[in-house]
Amino acid sequence: MRRPAALVAAAAVAATALAGCDSGGGDTIKIGSIAGLTGNFVTTDVVETAKQVFEDVNEAGGINGRQVEYIVKDDAGNPQRTAQVARELLDDGVVAMAGSASFTDCDVNGGFYQQAQISSVMAIGASPKCFQSPNIAPVNVGPFTLMTAVLQYASEQLGAQRVCNFTVVLPGSEDAVNQALGRWSELTGKELALSDLSVQQSGDMTPYLLRAKQARCDAVLFNPTEQLVIPWLQAASTQGMTDVDFLLLAPSYTDSVAEAASGLGLNVYAGSEFEPYTAESEANQAWRETVQRADSPATAFSQGGYLSATFMVEVLKTIEGEVTRESVNQALREMEPIEHPMLGTPWVFGDGESHAPNQASKIVQLEDGQWKVVTPEFITLPRG
Amino acid sequence: MLELSAAIAGLVTGGAYALMGLSILLTYRLVAVVNFAQAAVGAFGAFAMVLLVEQGWPLWLAVLAGLGVGALVHALVGLVMVRWFSGAGEGIKTAVTVAMYTSFIALGLRLFGAQHPHRFPKPFDTPAFTLGNVVVTWMAVITLALAGLFAIVPVLLLRHTRIGVLLRALAERPQTAELIGIPVPRLAMAVWAITGAASALAIMIIAGQFASDFGSQALLITPALAAALVGAFRSFPLTLVGGMALGILQSVASTWSEIQEYRGVLPFVAILVVLVWSRRKERWDELA
Repeated sequence: MRRPAALVAAAAVAATALAGCDSGGGDTIKIGSIAGLTGNFVTTDVVETAKQVFEDVNEAGGINGRQVEYIVKDDAGNPQRTAQVARELLDDGVVAMAGSASFTDCDVNGGFYQQAQISSVMAIGASPKCFQSPNIAPVNVGPFTLMTAVLQYASEQLGAQRVCNFTVVLPGSEDAVNQALGRWSELTGKELALSDLSVQQSGDMTPYLLRAKQARCDAVLFNPTEQLVIPWLQAASTQGMTDVDFLLLAPSYTDSVAEAASGLGLNVYAGSEFEPYTAESEANQAWRETVQRADSPATAFSQGGYLSATFMVEVLKTIEGEVTRESVNQALREMEPIEHPMLGTPWVFGDGESHAPNQASKIVQLEDGQWKVVTPEFITLPRG
Repeated sequence: MLELSAAIAGLVTGGAYALMGLSILLTYRLVAVVNFAQAAVGAFGAFAMVLLVEQGWPLWLAVLAGLGVGALVHALVGLVMVRWFSGAGEGIKTAVTVAMYTSFIALGLRLFGAQHPHRFPKPFDTPAFTLGNVVVTWMAVITLALAGLFAIVPVLLLRHTRIGVLLRALAERPQTAELIGIPVPRLAMAVWAITGAASALAIMIIAGQFASDFGSQALLITPALAAALVGAFRSFPLTLVGGMALGILQSVASTWSEIQEYRGVLPFVAILVVLVWSRRKERWDELA
């Protein structure tokens, strides 16, 4: 009884592919996106900002006279939904994906995108698969490159002697974490004083901090979700770890963490994915105006939404003739790198088997409940 | 002496597990339902409290309101149980609470926002004393004291008061109790409301130490059920010991590099050992 089911599935895939080819030549350019509008990982700010970019373009006359139709699907952080909505988008006839910010998208749909030959300019890539696919190129640095950059800042610029790492390893990302740590060792010639990849997402954080204390760590990297970072810092404060530099990644670089962690008396640093969103810099101006028009909160994630939509528009503009999945793929693969002041390295899709174009980050420090930029220049890692 | 430090640190987690485990045991002993949704109910109360504090309410008033929310939500669960499932077996009742648990998580994430953390007020977060290189806060001391209270008060209540006798009758023979004139539905609803408030109090106290999102708080149900299982769903003191032991075990395990990756599994290993030990005199070849 298995075989007919497989045939039906294959036929459905074929029909999906055909439907997609047909609708590419309509009046509008359909761009798809998968994000968490409900559930555990809510990324509405990303898609609201991306949507505003496309609306602005449409108001200004569209792309070579054609309007963009931006279709956002909510996957609620649920892998089954992630798979389902990707197929719905392809059925709808989208020619490419932009501004996606789902934490399961790359793992669940990476193979499907390859099979359906569609490209995704992702706003926020968080899993290793986002940086290992020929069809996906995130605009953000991503947690792994960011780990290396933040460690490098601690050892080279803060002068930390005993750098320690505590990581909550998400399924499938252990190799990428080890590579990121190894890359720091290669770049600096230093070894971690302590590395613990067994941190759990639940429970009291004090035992880990006691280990760090015993190992006399003077800089401690931790990669928690936003919800776990406050208990982590509070426990560190309770244990009196005021002379340690706490290094965090982009998910912790938010206003609510700044507010909640203020007054704890700790040295807290975080890596930003882009030009720090809290900086009132010229680089951020166009993005900030877009976020305001979108009536969405200004966050690091929304910068990803803005950049991925902006880059997609730039690439679509270069297409002469019909905008189809094939022509978008070709344009992305042959595009010239785009320099943008919010990024430290030019962004390019290109024809590689994997894509991690963004290799630069700035560092922000928590001061009086506010994030302050402490590295005026981007820390750019040499390409691996 | 990292192990000793970790063990001391683990007392806090253990106290938290025990507190929640005792709330679950209380519900089970009084209305005979193993309630998988109980930590989620407590989280409703705790998050209501946090939201009100963020609105500028005084802490004591917000805490009272949070306890009220916990009581109300649990009373609703109780209403469903009393109305439609009073004649059903334990298995069915438990299955219903599992369904409620998943609904509550979805609802809680929607209501209390999954995106940004809330900072739970920790009024007693000042160091009480330092023991074995670990700074122990007043919060930890209060958690432990409260866990002790949760373990002793129900025992005294059930054994030595008239209401305790009525409650035992209600849990063990609800229909007989009704026939002899005990107002069963009203009493049961009161029990549901009180255990709901107790869970809310437990979560309010321990929330600040754990990941501060609704889902993580509701997940405390797992170690809490494990603690209740150590107490064989009967004994309050053993549940207290079970919760404390699990917390300490998990904490100490994080210091041993050989097993730290498996520390999440340790509570279940501990439960297996307890179960095998407690059933050691039973005959294993008997038909069920």
